[in-house]
Amino acid sequence: MKRVAYYKGCLASLSAKELDTSTQALAPRVGLELVELESVTCCGAGDIHEAEPDYYLHLNARILAYAEATGCDTLMTVCNVCTLNLRQANWMLKGDDSLRERVNTNLAAVGVPAYSGEVEVRHLLWEIAEGEGYEQLKVAAHKGLKGLKVAPFYGCQILRPSKILGFEDPDRPWSLERIIEACGGEAIDYPAKIKCCGFPIIQAREETALGELIQPVEQALEAGADVMVTPCPLCHLSLDAWQQKLEKATGRTFNLPILHLAQLVGVAAGLEDSELKFKRHIVDPRPALARLEV
Amino acid sequence: MQIALKIWRYDSSTGERALREYELDAPEWATLLDCLDILKDQQDGTLAFRKSCRMMICGSCGMRMDGAAVLACKTRMYDIAQAGHVPTISAMGNLPIVKDLVVDMDPFWEKFKAMKPYLQPGYERPEDGREYLISQERMNVVHKESLCINCGCCVSECNAMESDPEFLGPQALAKGMRFVGDPRDGATIERLEEYSTEHGIWDCTRCYFCNERCPKGVDPRDAIAKLGAEAVHSGVDRDMGAKHAKWFVRSAETTGWLRETELVPKTQGVVSSIKEIKFAMSLARRGKVPPPFPPHVARDVDEARNLHNLVRGQDRGGALGQVQGEHALGKLAHGYDEERDPYGPGSFPKPYLPEEGAAP
Repeated sequence: MKRVAYYKGCLASLSAKELDTSTQALAPRVGLELVELESVTCCGAGDIHEAEPDYYLHLNARILAYAEATGCDTLMTVCNVCTLNLRQANWMLKGDDSLRERVNTNLAAVGVPAYSGEVEVRHLLWEIAEGEGYEQLKVAAHKGLKGLKVAPFYGCQILRPSKILGFEDPDRPWSLERIIEACGGEAIDYPAKIKCCGFPIIQAREETALGELIQPVEQALEAGADVMVTPCPLCHLSLDAWQQKLEKATGRTFNLPILHLAQLVGVAAGLEDSELKFKRHIVDPRPALARLEV
Repeated sequence: MQIALKIWRYDSSTGERALREYELDAPEWATLLDCLDILKDQQDGTLAFRKSCRMMICGSCGMRMDGAAVLACKTRMYDIAQAGHVPTISAMGNLPIVKDLVVDMDPFWEKFKAMKPYLQPGYERPEDGREYLISQERMNVVHKESLCINCGCCVSECNAMESDPEFLGPQALAKGMRFVGDPRDGATIERLEEYSTEHGIWDCTRCYFCNERCPKGVDPRDAIAKLGAEAVHSGVDRDMGAKHAKWFVRSAETTGWLRETELVPKTQGVVSSIKEIKFAMSLARRGKVPPPFPPHVARDVDEARNLHNLVRGQDRGGALGQVQGEHALGKLAHGYDEERDPYGPGSFPKPYLPEEGAAP
């Protein structure tokens, strides 16, 4: 078992609880022992980075400090946006001793332990796409996806900027495809799988966001997808919940079920309905998954 | 060395479009631009592409290789030829194609001009009559933005601009930051007001393609975030995007976690959010609208609040909060090795090779 400090972020704590329950249920089956972080806050979701970047850095340093205090080497995320925000702050703190010293002085002033810069921030996707996690995944996915056609949707902030993320080639990623295939599914290919879902501006500029959102939905369906999988709960929210607005705006029917990564692997690993919680989705994935039960 | 290229040819007068394959012999040091020069000289004089300096400073030869915007003169072909890969070359995106690899840059320059990309002096002349000196600290604020060569590689890949062609875009906004951050400029607030309107700062969708593609390390997305920080810091925060961003700050210091349910009225205002009630109800039925009461409060949230009060009183407000991290992030841009020879191996970006970077 690999012990990791588990940072679930805002959505998995509240509106995407199904991501948390499926991650918690899946973790031991893929060799991960989750040490849940309690005294942590939002990473700022890119918004605090844009509104008050100095506060952004301190909030993320505080999260990293509490992760380090668990004794784990790795802080594991389940969200693209958390991954970028934490990794970016981490590189800032690792790469500049005087900046880290300033931040640690501020943390100490409010009673937070110091951060040494030694924690690595990794997404669940990376934990199960290679190494020991991948080996365990192949065993765990015993039920299989029986050739289910799965559209991988990466989203942006797990790939770009690659100098901060750096796990795989941002233009030709392979991790989701590898996981889909290890689970017995068929990964389908389409150009928009590495593009933006529009989420960051979906409330302030809905029309522009919908113009982005339609690309992956339309292309995945044209390529024959039964379901789509994403490692990001924000992509999930726009793809799943805003799909109805897309249908209203275009007068078309899409009905494309969107799964969180932990749910897709969870289906192959035989997790319970109470852990997968598909009833919390706007587009119900159960009809598309029903044929796996036969 | 022998090199093969596939090039998308296009003629806007006839609308004719074709993918043609070429083979050529080039020296081992050849860049993509050298290869195109050889092709045009020896095989097909009708091939159209822009070029001038051949040394990554004029910004003329932006084009796409295997779908990604590059400067042709910065792209070495040796590894590609060795791997036997045949790259596909096409014109940049988000701009109309005139012929083959040449795009119409007019929309690009219109947005550039809309930023008023010149100094609007607003400083007092030094009493000794000498020139105005900018401190290194202030230069750091706009250093990266000053590196832009207007090649358009960032604009080519901008996801927000694909959806909204009127979006000012990464290049223009990065140029805007270059002047907002200039201590000699006297129009800072006016600029922030203008850049904060529809199609401006808050239309950026944070896809980070611009940072990924920029051949000069400008990191336009980070420049846009700096503009956002300057706008909020200066009280230019009427736009919905600014209100949205500020709500995350408020959430972090009050409950620790994002107060999701209140985000829509705080961003769009109460009147607009009433129109969203039907949509909200559809989400609420699936548990996607967490009730605001009782609030979901993070343990030890007072630490997050105290931290906010503490750092707000320090001298890193606005863009400075981000600039302080650029030194460390800059090491990543250069391979995270301070000893690296700037002209030696690894000083040029690696081209795409089909076998490298594949799944283990």
